[in-house]
Amino acid sequence: MSAYIQGRNVNLTFRPPNRRPVRALQNFDIDVNEGEFLSIVGPSGCGKSTFLNVLLGLAKPDSGDIMLGGKRIEGPGTDRAMVFQEFGLLPWRTVQSNVELGLELKGVATETRREVSQRLIEMVGLVGFETHYPHELSGGMKQRVGLARALATDPDVLLMDEPFAALDAQTRDLMQVELLRIWQEAKKTVLFVTHQIDEAIYLSDRVMVMTKRPGQAKKIFAIDLPRPRDYEMRVTREFNDLKLEIWNELKDEITSR
Amino acid sequence: MTDDAAPHISFATRHRKVLLGGFSVAIFFIAWQATFLFVPFNPLFISKPNLILDSFVEMLFSGDLLHDLAVSGVPFLYGFTAAVVVGVSVGVVMGWRVRVGYALDPLMTVFYASPLVALAPLVIVFFGVGVSGKAIIIFLLSVFPFIFNTAAGVRAIDRLLINVVRSMGGTEKDLYLKVIVPGVLPYIVAGARIAVGRGLIGILVGEFFAASEGIGYAIARFGDLFALDKMFACILAIMIIAVVLTEGIRWAERAAFPWRIGQ
Amino acid sequence: MSESHALKADIAADDDLVTPGRTGWQRFESTLYGAGSIVVLLLVWEIVPHLITISAGTKLFFTTPSQIGGTLWTMFATGTIWKPLGVSASGFSLGLVLAIAVGLPLGVLIGRSRTLNAMFDPFITAFNATPRLVFLPLLMLWFGLGLGSKVVIVFIGALFPILINTYEGVRNTDRVLVNVVRSFGASEWDVARLVVVPNAMPYIIAGLRLAIGRAVLGVVVAEFFGSESGLGVMMVQAAGRYQVAVVFAGLIVFAALSLAMTALVQILENRLSRWRPQHAGNE
Repeated sequence: MSAYIQGRNVNLTFRPPNRRPVRALQNFDIDVNEGEFLSIVGPSGCGKSTFLNVLLGLAKPDSGDIMLGGKRIEGPGTDRAMVFQEFGLLPWRTVQSNVELGLELKGVATETRREVSQRLIEMVGLVGFETHYPHELSGGMKQRVGLARALATDPDVLLMDEPFAALDAQTRDLMQVELLRIWQEAKKTVLFVTHQIDEAIYLSDRVMVMTKRPGQAKKIFAIDLPRPRDYEMRVTREFNDLKLEIWNELKDEITSR
Repeated sequence: MTDDAAPHISFATRHRKVLLGGFSVAIFFIAWQATFLFVPFNPLFISKPNLILDSFVEMLFSGDLLHDLAVSGVPFLYGFTAAVVVGVSVGVVMGWRVRVGYALDPLMTVFYASPLVALAPLVIVFFGVGVSGKAIIIFLLSVFPFIFNTAAGVRAIDRLLINVVRSMGGTEKDLYLKVIVPGVLPYIVAGARIAVGRGLIGILVGEFFAASEGIGYAIARFGDLFALDKMFACILAIMIIAVVLTEGIRWAERAAFPWRIGQ
Repeated sequence: MSESHALKADIAADDDLVTPGRTGWQRFESTLYGAGSIVVLLLVWEIVPHLITISAGTKLFFTTPSQIGGTLWTMFATGTIWKPLGVSASGFSLGLVLAIAVGLPLGVLIGRSRTLNAMFDPFITAFNATPRLVFLPLLMLWFGLGLGSKVVIVFIGALFPILINTYEGVRNTDRVLVNVVRSFGASEWDVARLVVVPNAMPYIIAGLRLAIGRAVLGVVVAEFFGSESGLGVMMVQAAGRYQVAVVFAGLIVFAALSLAMTALVQILENRLSRWRPQHAGNE
C-alpha cells in the first residue's frame, strides 16, 4: 500500500530570467502517512520550501510524481493549505476577513463563513481581535491568524513553511505548544519545514534531513518520544541524543561547500 | 554541481528590455510613415517622420533652432537659478526652525496647490514679453519644489548623526560637510528634477502668449502657418531637451547618491 | 481559556509599537503660526497701498484682498461666474475621467507584463518628461478651439501620473500575498481583485492627487491659448483690461477647484486606507 503523500523522483529547476538556472530538487523521494507530523530540516536554499510549493500546487516539477491520497497533484486545491513564514496576511483585511479568505474564494455563503471563522478565531485565541487589521497585531498573533486561515478550508494536509521563524524565542515556544494542541484537536497531516532541530524534534513524529542543493532526502529519523509532549522534554537525555544525531547529519551539508 | 556552471545567456535575453523598447519605437515610426501609403496625406493636418527629420536637420544646420533655443534658454537660466537660490534658502530655514516651518507650511502649500501659471497673463502685462517676464514665470513655477524638498531634507536629517559627529569632536564645519549637506543634497536634486519640468512649462507659457522669438514662439507660429513638419521638429527638440535634463538628473542622482537607490 | 497566557505575551510585545503623535500644544501652536502667517500676509497686502503712495501707472496693476473678495462676491452674487466655471469644470472632469479610465487599466497591464513594460517604457519616459503644453498648438489644429483640445490636453497631462503610479504600485505587489491567494485556488482575476489592486491603491491615490494638479494646469493653459470661453479666457481678457482683481479671483476659483478635488481624494483615501499603520494613529 502506498503512503498518503508519495513523492517519487521529483526534479525541479528554476529558470529565473537573466540569471543562471538553479536546480532545487533532484530525484527527491518522500513518503508521509496520514495524520503524521513530519518535519523537514536542511541547509538554507536546499529546496525544502520549494517542495512545499510543489505540494501546494504553486510550483510544477519538471519530472517525477507527487500523489496525495492516490491522486496526482495538478494545482492548488482545498485539500491542502499553507502557513507562510512571512504570515502572508492581506494587510487591508481584518483578522476575520483574512481567516475567511479561502472560504470566500470557494464561494461559501457568508453565514457559514462567519461560523467557521468565529470557531477558528476562538481556537487560536484571538477572540476580541476580529476587526483588527494585521498591522495592529504582534508577530505571534499574526501567525495565529495565518494558522486559522489555513485551517478554515478544513484541509487534510497542513503545510508549514518555517511558520515561526519570524517570531522571537518566547513567542515561538508558546506557538509550538499551541500548534501541538491544535494538531491533536484537528487531526491533520502536517508537513513542517524549519531550520531549528529542537523545534523539529519537539513537534514531529518523524524528521527528514535534506541534503544541500539540489535537495534530496538524506536521512529520516523516527521520533519515539511519548505524546502529549511538554516543555520539560527538551532537557531529557533522549531528546538531546536525537538532537546531536540530527545535527551530525545536517552539519556535513552545511559545512561542505 | 554541474548545473551551476555558468550557462550561456543570449545577448537577446540580457538586453531584452532595451531591444524591446527600441523595437516598439521603431514600429511606432514605421507605422506612422506607412499609414500614408494607405491614407491620403494632408500636410496641413499631420506630418510624416521623414519630413520632420528633414526639417529638424535643416533647422539645426541653418542655426534657427539653436537660436530659438538660446533665446528661450536665457530666461530659463535666470528664473531657474533664482528658484534654486530662493527655494533652497527658504527651505533650509523652514526645515531647521520648527516655528518657521509651522508658519510657512500652510502658506506655501496654498501657493503650491494653486495653478500659479494662471498669473502668467498678469506677469506678462506687467513685465512685458522680454527676458524678465519669462524669467519670473519660470521662477514662480519652479521655486516650490525646491522649497518643499529642501525643507523635507533638512527635517529628515538624523539628529543622532549630529550627536555622533559632535561626540567625536567634530566642528560646526564637519557637521555641515559630513552630515547636513550630504543629507539634504539628494532631496534638492530630486526637487530639481520636478522643477525642470515646471520651468519648461513656464518657458512655453511665456512664449505662447506673446514673443517674437524663442522655441515656444516657434511652435506656436509654425502651428499658425500650418508648417507641421517644422512644428513637429521643434516639439521633438523640446522632447529631447526635456528627456536629457530629467534623465540626466536621474542619472546624476544614481551616480552621486548611490545609497539612496530604491528610495 | 488555556491560551490566554500566550495571548498576553503577544500583546505585551506590542507596547513598543505605540509611538506618540504630536501633542495637543504642538498642534495648537502649528495651527496658530500657520493661520497667523496667512492673516499677516493678507493684512500687509491690504494696508500697503494706504501707507505708501503708488504711482498711477503702477496702481493699474495693483489690487488688494478686499477688492479681490468683493469681485468674487459680485461674480457669485450676479451669477456671472457660473457659465465660465461650468465650461472649465466640464473640460477638467472629462479629461480627468478619461485619464483614469485609460491610465488605471494600462498601468495594471504594464505592471503585470515585463514585455509590455519594456515596449511602453520609452514612450512613457519621453512623454512624462516633456511638458505636455508643447502639444497644445497641434491639438488646437486637430481639435479646434474649445472643449475638444481642452479635454485632450487635460487628459495627456493627468494620464501619466495615474499610469506611472498604478504601474509602480502593481510592480510592488508582494509575491507572498499572490501565492497566498493562489494557494486557495484563486484565478488571475481574483489575484488582481484581492491583492494587486488593493496593494496599488495608495500609489493610485497619490497619482490621482498629482493628476488633479496637472489637470487644473491643463485647463488653465488650454483656456489661455485655445478657447473661447471658460475661467482662463475670462482671466486673460481681464489681464488685458487691467482688471487685476478679476485675475486673482479666477486664480482663487481654480485653486479652490483643485483643493476641493484634493479633499475629495483625501476622503477617498481615508476610507480606503484604514488598514495602513500611518492612518490608524493621529497623523
